Amino acid sequence: MASGNGVNPPDAGGATTGAPLVEPELRAVGAPVPKASPPGGAIRKVAVIGAGVMGAGIAAHCANAGVPTVLLDIVPGGAARALAAMAKQDPAPFMHAGAARLVTPGDLATGLPLLADCDWIVEAIVERPDAKRALYAQLDAVRKPGSVVSSNTSTIPLAALLEGASDAFAADFCITHFFNPPRYMRLLELVTGPATRADAAAAVTAFCDRALGKTVIPCKDRPGFIANRIGGMWMQSAINQAQDLRLTIEEADAVMGRPLGIPKTGVFGLLDLVGIDLMPHVAASMKASLPADDAYVLGMRDNPLVARLIAEGRTGRKGGKGGFYTRAKSDTGESLKRAVDLWTGEDRPSETPQLESLSTRDIRALAQHPDRGGRYARAVLLDTLAYAAALVPEVADDIASVDAAMRLGYNWKWGPFELLDRIGPAWFVDALRAEGRAVPPVLETVGDGRFYRVEAGRLQAMGRDGTHRDLPRPEGVLLLADVKRAGQLLAKNGSAALWDIGDGVACLEFTSKMNSMDPDILSMIGKAVSMGKKGAFRALVIHNEGENFSVGANIGLALFAANIAAWGEVESMVEQGQKALRSMRHAPFPVVGAPSGMALGGGCEVLLHCDAVQAHAESYIGLVEVGVGLIPGWGGCMAMLRRWAEAPKLPRGPMPPVAKAFEMISTARVAKSAFEAKEMLLLRPTDGITMNRDRLLAEAKARALAMVEGYAPPEPKAIRLPGPSGKAALALAVQQQVLLGRATPHDVVVCDHLAATLSGGARDHTEETTEDELLRLERQSFMALLRTDGTLARVEHMLATGRPLRN
Amino acid sequence: MPSYAAPLRDIRFCLNEYLDPARLAALPGCAEMTPDLVDPVLEEAAKLCQEVLFPLNRSGDEEGCTIENGVVRTPSGFREAYAAFRDGGWASLACDPEYGGQGLPKTVALPFEEMMCSANLSFGMYPGLSHGAYSALSKHGTDELKQRYLPKLVSGEWTGTMCLTEPQCGTDLGLIRTRAVPDGDGSYAVTGNKIFISAGEHDLAENIIHLVLARLPDAPAGTRGISLFLVPKFLPMEDGRPGARNAVSCTSIEHKMGIKASATCAMSFDGAKGWLVGRPHKGLSAMFTMMNEARLSVGIQGLGLAEVAYQNAAAYAKDRLQGRALNGAAHPDKPADPIIVHPDVRRMLLSMRAAIEGCRALAMEVAQMQDIARLHPDPAERQAADDHVQLMTPIIKAHLTDVGWEATATGMQVLGGHGYIREWGMEQYVRDARIAQIYEGTNGIQALDLVGRKMPAHGGRHLRRFFHPVLAFIEAHGEDEAMGEFILPLSKAFGRLQQCTAELARRGLSDPFEAGAGATDYLRLFALTALAHAWARMAAIALPRADDAFYKAKLATARFFMARVLPETSSLAAKVMAGGATLREMEEAAF
Repeated sequence: MASGNGVNPPDAGGATTGAPLVEPELRAVGAPVPKASPPGGAIRKVAVIGAGVMGAGIAAHCANAGVPTVLLDIVPGGAARALAAMAKQDPAPFMHAGAARLVTPGDLATGLPLLADCDWIVEAIVERPDAKRALYAQLDAVRKPGSVVSSNTSTIPLAALLEGASDAFAADFCITHFFNPPRYMRLLELVTGPATRADAAAAVTAFCDRALGKTVIPCKDRPGFIANRIGGMWMQSAINQAQDLRLTIEEADAVMGRPLGIPKTGVFGLLDLVGIDLMPHVAASMKASLPADDAYVLGMRDNPLVARLIAEGRTGRKGGKGGFYTRAKSDTGESLKRAVDLWTGEDRPSETPQLESLSTRDIRALAQHPDRGGRYARAVLLDTLAYAAALVPEVADDIASVDAAMRLGYNWKWGPFELLDRIGPAWFVDALRAEGRAVPPVLETVGDGRFYRVEAGRLQAMGRDGTHRDLPRPEGVLLLADVKRAGQLLAKNGSAALWDIGDGVACLEFTSKMNSMDPDILSMIGKAVSMGKKGAFRALVIHNEGENFSVGANIGLALFAANIAAWGEVESMVEQGQKALRSMRHAPFPVVGAPSGMALGGGCEVLLHCDAVQAHAESYIGLVEVGVGLIPGWGGCMAMLRRWAEAPKLPRGPMPPVAKAFEMISTARVAKSAFEAKEMLLLRPTDGITMNRDRLLAEAKARALAMVEGYAPPEPKAIRLPGPSGKAALALAVQQQVLLGRATPHDVVVCDHLAATLSGGARDHTEETTEDELLRLERQSFMALLRTDGTLARVEHMLATGRPLRN
Repeated sequence: MPSYAAPLRDIRFCLNEYLDPARLAALPGCAEMTPDLVDPVLEEAAKLCQEVLFPLNRSGDEEGCTIENGVVRTPSGFREAYAAFRDGGWASLACDPEYGGQGLPKTVALPFEEMMCSANLSFGMYPGLSHGAYSALSKHGTDELKQRYLPKLVSGEWTGTMCLTEPQCGTDLGLIRTRAVPDGDGSYAVTGNKIFISAGEHDLAENIIHLVLARLPDAPAGTRGISLFLVPKFLPMEDGRPGARNAVSCTSIEHKMGIKASATCAMSFDGAKGWLVGRPHKGLSAMFTMMNEARLSVGIQGLGLAEVAYQNAAAYAKDRLQGRALNGAAHPDKPADPIIVHPDVRRMLLSMRAAIEGCRALAMEVAQMQDIARLHPDPAERQAADDHVQLMTPIIKAHLTDVGWEATATGMQVLGGHGYIREWGMEQYVRDARIAQIYEGTNGIQALDLVGRKMPAHGGRHLRRFFHPVLAFIEAHGEDEAMGEFILPLSKAFGRLQQCTAELARRGLSDPFEAGAGATDYLRLFALTALAHAWARMAAIALPRADDAFYKAKLATARFFMARVLPETSSLAAKVMAGGATLREMEEAAF
C-alpha cells in the first residue's frame, strides 16, 4: 500500500490490490509472419524512391540485409550524393563497407527502367499527396506485375494516396512507416487498405521482419498511426505543462526522462535531437487531418519561444547553433552547458535540478509528489496516457501493439498501458475523475485489475472485452523472458542464471549490472560445464536480453583489489576466468554464443571461446582492454592469434598473425556490426547473423542443436610465434605512432606488454608455444600492467566517465 | 605540580629523519624550511608554551570562564598570555603572507599546535578556532570580505568562530533552522540560536568574527540548502576599526567536564548583519574543505594531552618509592624501589609512549601531505597527496583522540590515588581529553566517513595511497634480516587489513548496515596497521644508530609496539569479520 503522505485524495489504495505487477518484455508483438514466403511474393530486389534521410537510410538497410537495392532521386545526382554522404555518417547507416556496393544510385528521370525487376518499391519522397500520386502513375507503368509498392508517409491517409490509382496498383499498395534512423529503430508501422492483397502485405511483413529485423506493427489508417500520434501528444503536453507549471527545462527533462522509463533526453533534449523546426510541421499536419475536438488539436497553442528559436536558426544539435540547450566556452576553455529559460527566453548556465520528487522510488509516488516536478509528471501522464487509452481501437486493435510501438518507436522502457499498470489503472481513473476528465472505455474495462498479467507462466494482455489472452508470439521467435516466466530454472547465483530452453538446450544468462563479468558469472560457467558433462543438457547457448551482451569484466572489482594491493586476489580472478573459458571450450557439448549489443573485453572473450556464434546484426564486439590500460587476459590474445594463424588468405610465417592481432587489440577497435566482426575475425566466417533480435535465441538454439550430432570438442593446439624479434618489430611500429602523435606515453607501456605476449615471450618460432604458456604470458602482462599508475588511472577514469583516458 | 618540556628531540626526528625535509623544501615558497631555520622557531614556540601558557593551565581550569550581562571573562592571566601570543606573531604563523601571515607550512605549524595542546588546551582553543575561520574565509570569501577581515584575523587582533550546532542539530546539519534573509544591500539578516560555540564570546580580542551556517529563504530542505555567512560582533567602520555592535550576543556559557577555560557559548543572532561566504546553498561544502584541517587539529589535541600525561607519569614512576622489584630490590639503599621497576608500570608507560611517538609520526606525515597537496607544482602529486590526507583524516581524528583519552587515563593509573586528586594535575588531562573524541564529528562519525566515503571513493583510489607504499616497504625489506622482527608483524597486520577492507567493501555495497557495524573496529585496525608501518620505518632509521640513547629507546619502543600493541589487530579483524548480525538482533524495545 503506497498511500503514505496523505497529499493526494484520489489514492484509495485500490489499484494496488489488483493483479500482481508483471514485467512485460514484449519485444515480439507484431504481425503474424507466414511460415513460408507466399508464392511469387519473395522479395529479392528493392527500390527506394527519394534519397532524403529516410529514403537513403531505408535503401542502406535493405542492402545491409544483402538485398540489391536501387535508390532513385528526383534531383539529378541526388541519390549518388546521398550514398556518398552515408559512408561518412555516424551512426553509420551501413553495417559494413560491402553493403554500400549493393546500392545502385540513379536519377528518377532516367532510372525508371531499373525498377522493372524490383519486388518491392518504397516511396519516400516529399509529403505531398499530388507529388506522390504523380510518382505512383510513373511507377505503375514500369513496375513488374505483382510487385509491392509502399509509401513511407507519416501523415497522409492511404485513401488519399490511392486517389485515381488503378485497381491493380491499389491491390499491391500499402504504407510502411519506418523510424529514423531506419537501421537502428526497430519499429515498422504497416497500414493496409481495403484493397491491399493479403499476400502483398504478408510478403512485406516477412521481409521487414526477417531480413530487415523490424517489428511490424499493423496500424489503422489514422493520422500519425500509433507512435507519432501518441508521441506527438506527449511532447506537446510536456512542453505546455512545463511552461504552465514553471519548470526549468532541466527539471522538465529530468522528470520526463529516466523516472518514467523515457530516454534521458526527456522532451526538450529530444526536440534538440530531432530538430525543433519539425514541431510546427507535425502540428500543422495533425491539425489538418484530425477532428477539431481531438484532445491533441485542442491542446495546440502558439509558442513564441519555439518560433523565435526557429527564426534564429537554433533548431537543435544538427544546426550547430544549439536549441533549448546550447554550449559555450568558458574563459578557461571548458565547455559549459547553457539552457534557455522557458519564461524569459534568456539563456543561462545550466543547473542540475534539485527536486525532491526526483528521488521518489516509483511512478505513482512521483505523480503524487506535491512539488512542481510531481505535479508536472502527473499532468503530463494524465494527458498522454488518457489520450493513448482512448486510441484503442481507433489506431490499433490491441493494447500490446500500442505499447510495442511506443517502446520501439520512441525508445520508451514501458508503453502507455505498461505505464498505467505501474501507476495503477484504478488510481489513474480516480485521478482523471478528480479533474473532471472523461475516462476512456478500456480504463473502465480494466477496473481494479491490470492490463497485463502472467497466467500459468504465460504473459497475457487484456482484450477490449476485458478478458486476458496469451500474447501471440510469431513463429520462430523464442524469448528468454517467456522462458523465465515459465520458470524453467536450472541454476542461479547473484550474477548469472541457467535456463532450460527446451529440446535439451540450456541458456546461460548474465544478470549482473550491465552484464559485467564477475566471479559469479565465471563460477556459473563452471557450473554449466559440470552440469552439461553430467548430461543435464545436450547443448548450451549463452545469451541474454539485456541492452548489451556484456560490457566486459567488472573492472571496478579489479580496481578496488588493485588499490588495496591485493595482487593475489586479482591474479586468481584472472586465472579463474582463463580456467572457466577453457573448460567451456573443451566441454563435451557444443556451446553457441548469441550476442546482441556490446560484447566487449571479457564479454568478447566468452564469444571467442564458443564453438559457434549466432550474432544479432547489431552486435558491437571488440577487445577493448587497452582502453583501460590492460590486455585481454582470459585467452583473448591466444584466440586471436589462432584465428589469424588459421585464416586462409594471410601470408605464411609466424609474424603476420601476430601483427594482425596486435593491430586490432592495440587500437581497441570495436566492430560496429556483426558483419564487421566477421571481417575482423572476431566472428568466424561460418558464424551466423540474425537481423531480428527476437529471432536470435531460436536461431542460436537451432544452430546448437545442429552441432550436437557427432560433436567433438576442439583439441588444444600449440602455435609458433616469432619471439623477441617479433616484439622488436612491433615496438618499432609503436615508436612510429608516437612520432605521429597517435600514441600516448602509457600506450607505449601497454603496447610493450601486448607485444611481448603476442610474440610469445622469450620463445621464438623454432619452438612451439603451448596454450598454457600463452595464458601464463597473458596473466603476467595483465598483472604487470595493473601495477602501473597509468593503468589504474585509466581504469578509474573509465569507471567515472565511461570514456577512455588518453594518458 | 605537573611539569612540561616540549618533546623537541622527537619532533626533530619526525621532521628531519622520518619525513624527508628535502621534500618540504622543494615545494614552492618553502625553500627556507630547512632545519636551521625551523629549529629556532620551534625552540621559541616551546618557550612560549612552557613559560607562558603552561603555568595558566591549572589556574584556568580552577577559575573557569564567567559570564555577566552577556560579557564573558576568561580566567586571570589569559588576556596577558593572549597579548604575548599575538604580539609574538604566533597567530600568523601558518597564514598567507598576502594578508600578513608568515606562510609557514603545516608541517612546521603542527608541532607548535601539539605543544600548545600539551601546555594549555583551553587556551589553544581560541587561536585554533580563529584559524578555522581564517581558512574558510580565505578559501571561499569574496575579495572584499578577505581584504576587510583576513588581516585582523591573521594578526590575532580579532578572533573567529565556527557556528554550526543548534539545539536540535549536532551531527545532522540538515536540520539547521537559523535563517538569513537578504537585506537588499548585499548583506543578510541572520536570525537563530547556536549552541556549543567555542570562543563565541570572550575578552581576549577587540572583535569576534562568526562564521555561521544558515538557510536562505528559497533553500531546499536538508544539507543541500545550507549557506555560510560571516557575522562580526562589531561591524567594522570604513577605517577598519570595530564600529557598531551587531545583533549577536552570548546568552550563556556551558558548565563542562573539561576545557573549562575555553568559553563554550550559546549564541543568539537576532537579525544580525552578515555576508554570504561562498555560493548560496553550498555552505556545507565550504565548511568541508576546512574540515580536514580542523579534524587533524582535534587529533593533535589528543596527542598533546597524551604527551604531557606521559611526561608526568614517567617522572612520577621514577620518583615514587613503593615496594620492591619482583626479582629482588633494585635500590637496596633506598627504603623502597621506584615503581618503574614493576612490569605493569612499564607496560603502561610504554603503551603510552608507543602510541604517542607513532601517532606523532603519522600526523606529521599527513601535515606534510597537506602541504604537498596545496603547493606541489605537479597536479598528479597534489592529487596523490590530497588522497592521502582524505584517507587519513578520519583515522587521525578518531585514533589520536582515542589515544588521548586512553593515555591520560593510563597516566592517572600510574599515579594511583594521586592521579585522581586535583593536586597532581593528572585528572585535568583526563577531563580535558574526553571532549576531543566527541566534537568535530564524533569518532563514530569518523569511522563512518572512513568506511562509507573514503573507502569506496574513486574505486578505492584513496586506499591506494596507503596500501601501495606499505606493500612496497614490506617488499623492499623482505630480505633484510635485522628488520624481520618488524616486517613480519607488519605484514600480518597488513594482510588482516586487506582482508577486512575487501570484505567490508563487498558487504557495504549491498548492505550499508554491515559497513557501519564494522566501522569503528575497522578504523582502529587501520590505525594500528598504519602505526605499525610508521614504527617499522622508524626502526629502519634507528637500527644503524642503535648505540645512541635516543635511537636505542626508539628501537625498544618499536619492539614493544610490535609485540604488545599490534596483536590487537587480530581481535579487531575478528570483530570486523563477525558482521552486524548481533547488532541487529536485539529488538529496539528490549534496550
